[in-house]
Amino acid sequence: MRSVSLFFGSVKRVFLVLSLFFVGGVSFAQSVSEGKALFQSKCTSCHAVNRVVIGPALKDVDQRHDEEWLIKWIQNSQKMIASGDAKAVALANQYKPNVMTAFPELTPENVKSIVAYIKEEGNKPATTNAAGAVDGASSSNDEVSDFMLGGLILVIVIAFLVIIILNRVIKTFERLLLQKQGVALEEEVVNETGKVQKLIAYLKLRAKNKKFIFFIVLGVVLVLGTVGWVGMWNTDVHTGYQPVQPIKFSHQLHAGVNKIDCQYCHTGAYKSKNASIPSLNVCMNCHNYVQATDKYNGEISPEIKKIYRALDYDPQTKKYGSSPKPIQWIRIHNLPDFAYFNHSQHVKVAGVKCQKCHGPIQNMEEVYQYSPLTMKWCINCHRETEVNYKGNAYYASLIAAHEKLKKGEKITAAVLGGTECAKCHY
Amino acid sequence: MNKLRLLIFSLSLVVVVVFMSSCFNNRSTGLEYAPNMYEHKAFDPDQPNENFKDGKTAQLPPDGTTPVGFDRLEDDYPNTLEGYEAASKSLSNPYPLTMANLEEGKTLYLNMCSHCHNFDGKGNGSIIKLQKFPPPPSYSTGTSSRGGAMKDLTDGKIFHTITYGVNLMGPHKYQLTPTERWKIVMYVHELQKLQ
Repeated sequence: MRSVSLFFGSVKRVFLVLSLFFVGGVSFAQSVSEGKALFQSKCTSCHAVNRVVIGPALKDVDQRHDEEWLIKWIQNSQKMIASGDAKAVALANQYKPNVMTAFPELTPENVKSIVAYIKEEGNKPATTNAAGAVDGASSSNDEVSDFMLGGLILVIVIAFLVIIILNRVIKTFERLLLQKQGVALEEEVVNETGKVQKLIAYLKLRAKNKKFIFFIVLGVVLVLGTVGWVGMWNTDVHTGYQPVQPIKFSHQLHAGVNKIDCQYCHTGAYKSKNASIPSLNVCMNCHNYVQATDKYNGEISPEIKKIYRALDYDPQTKKYGSSPKPIQWIRIHNLPDFAYFNHSQHVKVAGVKCQKCHGPIQNMEEVYQYSPLTMKWCINCHRETEVNYKGNAYYASLIAAHEKLKKGEKITAAVLGGTECAKCHY
Repeated sequence: MNKLRLLIFSLSLVVVVVFMSSCFNNRSTGLEYAPNMYEHKAFDPDQPNENFKDGKTAQLPPDGTTPVGFDRLEDDYPNTLEGYEAASKSLSNPYPLTMANLEEGKTLYLNMCSHCHNFDGKGNGSIIKLQKFPPPPSYSTGTSSRGGAMKDLTDGKIFHTITYGVNLMGPHKYQLTPTERWKIVMYVHELQKLQ
């Protein structure tokens, strides 16, 4: 019995210690998770832990300033600057003209949990780097596979060469063998010419066979006809054209995953003839922050770096240089000069979705031409599309003219716009 | 002998296939006949142009000029805290609050703003949900980084912010004409009233 109670006692003690540890752990985890939630809702529009965004990077902020100072600063930074606190004034000068928002609603406890979260987050980079390293390895794997493909082709070519050489060697050996047996070498040559003669005789025989000739001619006509027909249909039709662009911009990522509207970047689509290729300042609306560093082992993505290089932008100082160079995108959809096409008429007036002509653009890693852009293709759509004339003043006079006709009234050329200046003067 | 013939046959087959496949190469535009109308002499805005020093066809308007339909906000209301306050005091929406204007504002808002600010202005749009970008404050419940509640932002303050951007939001004056910006301002006022 005694031993049983002893056993229970020790179990109790272990349990007590464990539970104490557990409770302590929970309260710490709670303040960190509360801090995380607060940090993400209040701070991230200007701060990150490991990099300067609008305000300073917050890693080791608990070592730079004491807790009391931080609470005062976060609750009302402007008041501190006005009161002439040396540290506060120095910070304000460093990040001019940006001002830190006052957060009077944050209690000292809230600030403490935010600092706890920053502390934990600041100690993390080793693990994120490891993840990045794995990614890096996988990307280098891709390069290896390219290398292997080249190697494979080389091996095949070498194998072919070896076969040819071996064949020759075998032939010379056979010849040597025949020489040893005393067979004359000339015989083979005679054989060769004999073969050619045989072939010619065979062809002559065939040439007299009218059926055979007919099928040959039919075959040639069919092949040439098909090649000619397909070739002419596809001349100047660029369907499937997919040039290599200077930046590997993925519509699948931007329009598909991120769900950014087409017109955010192609602002011309609803208000001008041209859908317009966005200039780089539009890219920078997001990519001044988004650098995809987690995918490239802590480095800025090489494709995003191309934007920075073209703009002569330094991501460290966030300053633009004086010699920007435009990115030369390659035009995919190209209409000849004898056809006039206006994007705004189709997008805004007709309300045609981009995908109707450009295909599943939100799934394209690399854009290709989806539609043939031939006259037949345009006309087919114009034949089927119903005009939405309601609320469109352009059709008002047309409708009025038809109403008149229905009533049996006469209509003049003027009703149909015959007196407009541009009908005669252009 | 047969082996060699087989070899030659297969090699020539490879050559033919390679030759044929070049006809269907998606990196080229394919067969073109008299492409003069495709590669026309008139310059497109997105083409290079030797006639200008910087080699671009799309040029900026000369200094001191204002394109039709655009404004010169920077003269009166610069991108500073003072400019922001001045805009708040003296700018107001020149467009009347009508259903048509609001509808247009809504379309523009959904196209240009909603991927960050969300369709309801609460600041959790598609990019924010994917955690690719930090969330902007909610129009109805958030606080502005330049003081005050987001729901109290005036015409001028919202217009100034869309024009120049603030914090992580970039300037949108290049994508939106003043008219379009004012229509968005009108719609944002509606979103401020949400609870």
